[in-house]
Amino acid sequence: MWSLKSRLMYGMISGMTALLIGFNLIVYHIISHELFSQFDASLKSAANLISASVEQDDKENKFDFEFNIERMPEFAGGKKSAYYELWSSDGVPIRKSPSLGNDDIVRFASADKTRSFKSFVMKNGRPVRAIAISFQPHIENDSNAADMPHSLVLVVARDTGELLEQLRFLKYLLSIASAGILGLAYAVAGIVVRRGLAPLGTVAEQIDSISEDNLKSRIAGEDLPDEIVPIQRKLNNLLERLQASFERERIFNANVAHELRTPLAGMRSIIDVALTRYRDSEEYRCALSESLSVVNNMEEMVSRLLMLARNESGQTALTKEQIKLAPMVDKCWEAFAGKAAEAEIVFANRIDANLVCKSDAAGLSMIFSNLLNNAAEYTNRGGRIEAAAQKTEHGIEIIFENTGNQLTQQQTQMVFDCFWQGDASRSSTGVHFGLGLSLVRQMVELLGGKIRAEVSNDLFSIHIYLPLI
Amino acid sequence: MRILLVEDYLPLQKSLAKGLREADFAVDVTGDGQEGLWYAMSNDYDVIILDIMLPKLDGLGILKQLRAKNKNTHVLILTAKDTVEDRIKGLDTGADDYLVKPFAFAELLARIQALMRRKYEHKSPEIKIGDLRIDTVAKRVWRDSEEIILTSREYMLLEYLARREGEVVSRMDIWDHIYEFKSEASSNVVDVYVGYLRKKIEKKGKPAILQTVRGQGYILGT
Repeated sequence: MWSLKSRLMYGMISGMTALLIGFNLIVYHIISHELFSQFDASLKSAANLISASVEQDDKENKFDFEFNIERMPEFAGGKKSAYYELWSSDGVPIRKSPSLGNDDIVRFASADKTRSFKSFVMKNGRPVRAIAISFQPHIENDSNAADMPHSLVLVVARDTGELLEQLRFLKYLLSIASAGILGLAYAVAGIVVRRGLAPLGTVAEQIDSISEDNLKSRIAGEDLPDEIVPIQRKLNNLLERLQASFERERIFNANVAHELRTPLAGMRSIIDVALTRYRDSEEYRCALSESLSVVNNMEEMVSRLLMLARNESGQTALTKEQIKLAPMVDKCWEAFAGKAAEAEIVFANRIDANLVCKSDAAGLSMIFSNLLNNAAEYTNRGGRIEAAAQKTEHGIEIIFENTGNQLTQQQTQMVFDCFWQGDASRSSTGVHFGLGLSLVRQMVELLGGKIRAEVSNDLFSIHIYLPLI
Repeated sequence: MRILLVEDYLPLQKSLAKGLREADFAVDVTGDGQEGLWYAMSNDYDVIILDIMLPKLDGLGILKQLRAKNKNTHVLILTAKDTVEDRIKGLDTGADDYLVKPFAFAELLARIQALMRRKYEHKSPEIKIGDLRIDTVAKRVWRDSEEIILTSREYMLLEYLARREGEVVSRMDIWDHIYEFKSEASSNVVDVYVGYLRKKIEKKGKPAILQTVRGQGYILGT
């Protein structure tokens, strides 16, 4: 891939070269045309002068030639030679200039029967340009006007060596001037392009200095040209998103570390204390059993973290099928019904038995189980849990509601955040990690839906919106 | 020596309480912040071990209220919060020490002992009263180079009296520092244990080092 600088240089120099070639061609053509026009006019004048000096004698049917060669010495011969030759219409030579010597001019007919121009090389090797004219000479004695004058052909040629030399010099001059202009243009373009692209270099240096350790840095927008400002803004926006993402990851990692430290501390303490003295086997068994219980909780937490990671990386395979919601909620509730009954909690499934939704059964089951588990855990003794669902314009809304709410409206914004726990006591059992609702939200989004939490006095409710298809 | 442990993670709470009791400390335990504050305000603990993330009232909230009410009990914060900012915040709030989870139980014990020494202004882990020598780390006692084997309760009684060497210590003080909150109160249990201890540490032909101050309590040393 060419660099931007090379592209600009190539474009500018190519463009300028094409323009210069075009300009040179036009200039050369105009000058050449003008010079040849003047040359041809001079040829024509000479031909007219010579033709006017020819007279026909009616009696003797001869031609008088009154042309004074001294007035036009170039026809006598020399370096800047000119030539003429006169023929009768049937091609009999009548007269020729002394400059021709024994040579002859190529006789050619005029295209329009009056005059015609032609360039050729004489036998002596000199380039010439010639005019051919056909004319009827003046009749010396017009008393016998009945006699028709003879038609004659005159070819006048002039040496074009000097003219062609001038044109060659013009070509050379234009080429040299163009090369000089191009060289200068290349140098100027180099400076202009370098200066023009300097802000890109500045931006590149700033980007280069940004690493994961200083993602708070931003690319300065002062003095940047208008064309680069949108790129600078978009890069800064990208940095902002990256910083937020890194920050989220940092907080997540810190939370994971924090949540693992407590059970680890518990396990280490159990083992440390067990090893402070010799004990009977029952005490060791007890210590091992407590350690195992902690390990199980940690395993559950790690499993949930892995599930979050799998969902996030899109590794969760979903199979959509028609699911009857009410029976699925009932089935999920079975696992918590015993615990709820002990706390005298009443559960009511008010979902229409025939309401179906096309979704992933495993994903939906995980969502319902987590929500019902939470509800069974935090509903007040003697409280109530309700599940309801209704069709909406775009899909289905499923609502899980329970009494015993202790959260504020503001806290409902955070319930889906990883490791967020409304009450720190929830971690005391080692069962709740603040990951359940994060998983629920993630799964709802994977299923193409949305979720929100709401509180109203002592009622806490989760609203899930799933598409019908 | 009596400790209050405020920790809501049950496996840790249970194992720490067990280990501390086995290390001859009287330990009151709670996993609730509000209850922890009530315990701390109601009793004269030698050391309070305090978690930060607690239900109802967090550890730093408890600490603030204790210090606001001029309760100067030595507090060791035991938490999973490990950043420098967290440690500074904990110590600036009034904690005397800060230990990050997970930790070695032996280190926790050493830090508790250090706080005990600071409270009773002892620099050395060994207390000498005449020819009586107490190693507060190994929990062993000698008199005249002869080791005296004590029960846990007898050792707790001796260490507390030794920490307050030369002071008259009331029966109530003794009760408060060697018995846990949930212990069955008994009017003469302290006297009984003082009797047991006296039998073990006093030697014939040597001046008595544990004396009764009638109507006030007991005094160890002169």
